[in-house]
Amino acid sequence: MIQFLTRRLLYSIPVLLGVAFISLYLFHVAGGDPVAMKLGKAPDPAEVEALRLELGLHDSFFIQYISFLRQFLSLDFGTSWADDTPVRDIFIRGLMPTLSLSLPAFVLGSMISVTVSLVVAFYRGSLIDKAVTAMAIAGISVSSLIYILLGQWVLADRWKLFPIWGYEYGPGAVFFVALPVLIWITLSVGTDVRYFRTVVLEEISRDYVRTARAKGLSEARVLFGHVLSNSAIPIITRLTIAIPFLVTGSFLLEIFFGIPGLGSTLYTAIQNSDLPVVKAFTMLGAVLYVAFNILADLLYAWFDPRIRLS
Amino acid sequence: MSTPDYGESPWRAAWIRFRRDPVAVGFLALFMAYFGVAVLAQLVELWDGAPFLYELNLSDMGMDVPETATAPELSHPLRWLGTTSAGKSVILRVFHGTKVAFVVGSCGAGLSVIIGLTLGLVGGWFGRTIDEIIVYIYSTVASVPYLLLMLALAFVVRQGPIAAYYRSFAFSEFVSLGLFNIVVVIGLTSWVTLCRLIRAEVKKVRELEYVHAARALGLSDTRILFKHVLPNVFHLVIINFSLTFVTAIKSEVILTFLGVGVDREPSWGQMISDARSELMQGVWWPLAASGIALFVLTLSVNYVGDALRDALDPRLK
Repeated sequence: MIQFLTRRLLYSIPVLLGVAFISLYLFHVAGGDPVAMKLGKAPDPAEVEALRLELGLHDSFFIQYISFLRQFLSLDFGTSWADDTPVRDIFIRGLMPTLSLSLPAFVLGSMISVTVSLVVAFYRGSLIDKAVTAMAIAGISVSSLIYILLGQWVLADRWKLFPIWGYEYGPGAVFFVALPVLIWITLSVGTDVRYFRTVVLEEISRDYVRTARAKGLSEARVLFGHVLSNSAIPIITRLTIAIPFLVTGSFLLEIFFGIPGLGSTLYTAIQNSDLPVVKAFTMLGAVLYVAFNILADLLYAWFDPRIRLS
Repeated sequence: MSTPDYGESPWRAAWIRFRRDPVAVGFLALFMAYFGVAVLAQLVELWDGAPFLYELNLSDMGMDVPETATAPELSHPLRWLGTTSAGKSVILRVFHGTKVAFVVGSCGAGLSVIIGLTLGLVGGWFGRTIDEIIVYIYSTVASVPYLLLMLALAFVVRQGPIAAYYRSFAFSEFVSLGLFNIVVVIGLTSWVTLCRLIRAEVKKVRELEYVHAARALGLSDTRILFKHVLPNVFHLVIINFSLTFVTAIKSEVILTFLGVGVDREPSWGQMISDARSELMQGVWWPLAASGIALFVLTLSVNYVGDALRDALDPRLK
């Protein structure tokens, strides 16, 4: 266990180094000129030179990479090139709006998906099962932009049930995140129900279920007593792996609904070639991804003693 | 001497299982119809040359139609789905969008399959250092936040050396840079899943007896890999291709909306992004047309993909 954890943690070092390399390299080639953005259209050449020197743009790629790593280790991500705000403040500011959208969507969505897939698995082969399966496959076939556009047009613009755009810090946020949360749930339930249903059905076809039935247990007892506890393992793993994406947020929903979260922050930063923000965001995303993947493996082993971590 | 009895081919058996579901067959036919429209749209454009039909106003084509948005009506085939706010025929744009969707879907998924399959086969078969390198590459790529990878790559392909490389190709006349861009972005971001699956499966298959037997017969590595291992993991490729095809045409919509996708030719993504302002003026038909076209194609690929998975799953025999 300790050995497994140590090895996974050690292995994550080269992975994070690689992520840092990819993000910096992509930006090196792709990024626009941040100097032009900072100084306006017709800047003074001397000023440009000074700024380039200050931002370290003259250094070789390797030097920039090293200083990126040094920054990452000291957890100091500098200030945004766009408006000189410390990157840390940008993150703290964006975290609440993102979580106020993603957490309720995740919790409600997962609850709905798990419940629906259990019900459907219980009544497998029946009309309910077929209807839900058909709805799920139809639901995942609609583009997320269509959901957003129709939601905004019908529910917000025509029926005035929700505000179209904007955000309010504090309890007023409920009002603004309601529609995006609804759309998020619609987007995720289809995929999740399909996955969870397969997991439960796979479990139902195993030998121990046949034994339990042979003992004369009721179908409900078999499903909720035996099958659920065994299919909980892959379900929990999948939900754990999804957690990092709650922090990085849904950039589409945030852009469309004007929610000033981390997703829309990253999007603006990429557009503005705001390297410090992009770098910090990438590393945060990668660290969370790696950490929660390790956690998922640990949970898997903890719930299922048959699995040996090696 | 009589020919040896090889038994039933597994592909034929899978096809027979697939055929049992009439809905799946229906969706497959629908998919073929889309493919026909895409090919037809491309042929018309090749034969027609520039300026392309879809860029003309209906009034320029000698029809008595105002140069504004008009609702769908049955008077002329080009007006069946209405006209855009510039007076262009929606149906022609949907047809061209079908061609774009097929290029994005098949080339994007194709590129992703080529990368994922090659790396997966090599890693799973040869093991050792080369396998470790491949595992490292995909673990790293998977850890980069997806939005960043996708958007940054979209910018890179557009501005960087890859765009220059693109222009030197003969096909750059037929495939616009925006389209090429999306294909490359999708190919480079979506290969990890297939690579993982293939690698794990090849690792299992290479220890099976028939592979040992092939080795004992003195067959070369390449021959075993392509003639004996590949056919046994190929069902994963087919299923993954259908999944990535869907991801690709859905990503086209999102990338185009964000301004790094298809430009200079109509696509479903473009029609959906335009709809944002059009809807507020009550012009719903371009959105309805492109949205439904996208939905039906996605649905048929999803359904056929599911049916293929069941038909190819050896456990269900």
